[in-house]
Amino acid sequence: MSDNGVKRSINIFRPLQGTMRGEVQVIALLLAACLLAVVGTQVGIWVLEESIDGFWLTELVFFNLPIHFWISGQFLPLLFIVLGLVFNLWMDRHELRRMEGTIRFRATGRKKGEVP
Amino acid sequence: MVAKGVQFIPLLMVAGMFLLFIVSGLGSKMRQTSDYGFSGSYSGRVGSGAAIASNWMSAASILGLAGLFYLKGYYAMAFVIGWTGGYVLLLVLMATQIRRFGKFTAPDFVGFRYESATARTLVALISIVISVIYCVAQFRGIALLVSWLFGLQYKEAVLTGAALLVAFVVVSGTLGVIRNQRLQYFVLITAFVLPLMFINRKLGYFWVLPQFGYGEAITTLQEQFGFFWSEPFASISLFQWLALCFTLMFGTAGLPHVLSRFYLAPSMRDARWGVVWGLFFISLIYWSAPAYGVLARLFDARAGNAFKLPDPAQADLVTLTAVTQAGLPVWVVGLLVAGGMAAAFYAAGGLLQSGAAAFAYDIYPRLIRPGATDSDKVTVAKGVFLVLAGIVMAFSLNQVGLIAEIAAVAFALAGNTIFPAFLLGIWWSRTNAAGVVTGMLIGVLITFSSLLLGDLVPLVKVIFPLTSSAFIGAPVVALVMIVVSLLTRPPSDEMVAFLIRDVHDTGGK
Repeated sequence: MSDNGVKRSINIFRPLQGTMRGEVQVIALLLAACLLAVVGTQVGIWVLEESIDGFWLTELVFFNLPIHFWISGQFLPLLFIVLGLVFNLWMDRHELRRMEGTIRFRATGRKKGEVP
Repeated sequence: MVAKGVQFIPLLMVAGMFLLFIVSGLGSKMRQTSDYGFSGSYSGRVGSGAAIASNWMSAASILGLAGLFYLKGYYAMAFVIGWTGGYVLLLVLMATQIRRFGKFTAPDFVGFRYESATARTLVALISIVISVIYCVAQFRGIALLVSWLFGLQYKEAVLTGAALLVAFVVVSGTLGVIRNQRLQYFVLITAFVLPLMFINRKLGYFWVLPQFGYGEAITTLQEQFGFFWSEPFASISLFQWLALCFTLMFGTAGLPHVLSRFYLAPSMRDARWGVVWGLFFISLIYWSAPAYGVLARLFDARAGNAFKLPDPAQADLVTLTAVTQAGLPVWVVGLLVAGGMAAAFYAAGGLLQSGAAAFAYDIYPRLIRPGATDSDKVTVAKGVFLVLAGIVMAFSLNQVGLIAEIAAVAFALAGNTIFPAFLLGIWWSRTNAAGVVTGMLIGVLITFSSLLLGDLVPLVKVIFPLTSSAFIGAPVVALVMIVVSLLTRPPSDEMVAFLIRDVHDTGGK
């Protein structure tokens, strides 16, 4: 129960104030990117397969590999690593801010003449 | 591919690699503690990542994936994306929160979060079933390698492999060997990638990064043999491919032995960064695995079998056949076999131990013998380990499928049960025991529905294929959990307060 009498709860669709709200926004963004990348690339590959008897899948070569092998076998795992990196950097930054905020609060919250 | 006799040099290399792991494990024994069979060395983010990757590597990664590429081509990319994408789900949705819960096993977590012994017991049972299924895949890998090493037939190799595994676990346990997972990872990745570099070099391809070099083999297959890889969805529909991919993702984020890694990270930051490093190390394997499948196809084509339907029973050994057909020195073959054996042995041993621990610590003292002492539990764990090994061995005697496909069933079960239980347990405080128990029971039914009801209702096989049921199954289970939770009593105020105060970063508000 919060101070205003409203019962509080955890719900990813209604994040509470604090870092949780920002965290949920970042999570939603990263998961959307992940979903779009996986489904979007496969739909794209399917379209290429369906068009001109898979001509483009034979002709398009990237980093020595047919385009669909490169996208699914190399690029997507790399993208997942980058998404993880972005999430961790964001989380580190916010943890640092929160810690700084706590230190500032402690510093300003000290009474006059109080020995730290 | 049964060898003609005992392969002495590869056998010596296998023995040498296990000896190295045991000695290094004994060296680190004094510095670590072990609980529930989940021990390991964790210092720093890279170390945590190597431990996560080493824990993940199994016969499915070293042998199974290449076999699937060889046999089914692009279809196998669903495994690469599913198994790596699952770590993104783990990282953003669970890693930090699981670390904050501070519980050591999946049954521990569920029992605490849902304040229910029933939910805890159910998760323990599901964990045991997952361990058994996953272990059947490992036993197949062990049997194929043992068959090659000793020149045995498949069934004899299963029995020999099982005996060797049990002996290895007993010896390691008696000596108190701790897994040095960082060393293991770096040895295994070397054993997997080095032979690939040698093959590429021998064929005149770009060998420094064989993960890209094998593209020339694809071109050669097209231009010289008329073998094209340009129909990725010829044998499987887009829906089936996505269903498999997302099932593996959800399963990765729900496998008990994967989730347990996060409880052991020294801090939340290490837990998060460990996942990213772990994902990078795992990706090194998956960037390389397709190359073995493609190169094995090239060697087939050179032998005049470009369009011959490959033998599924032998597909799981294509990493080995590719290396032997390339005519590489026997020590290179030995290195690869030793890596495969080590990955399968440690995966199977760990799974059997965690399954035995789930029974001994979560089921035995609650349902069979309340008041059991710690000594009783240890004795039961040892007995159950042997029983589970016997069950897995019995299932493995018949060649039921490819390594990766058998493993996928375990992922489907985890994705349909433990994944939604953890996800909602962390992110929706209203989820309660009734909801999670009902949901997980439905999840079990969904996982095996194509076996149980598939002949009666053909649509079930389309919606919930055995290896790909969690794509539709996991959302259905989550919905059931939500509906049942809303219709029944909410969790205690203490649990909701714990979630707000200790699990999520709400500033304590």
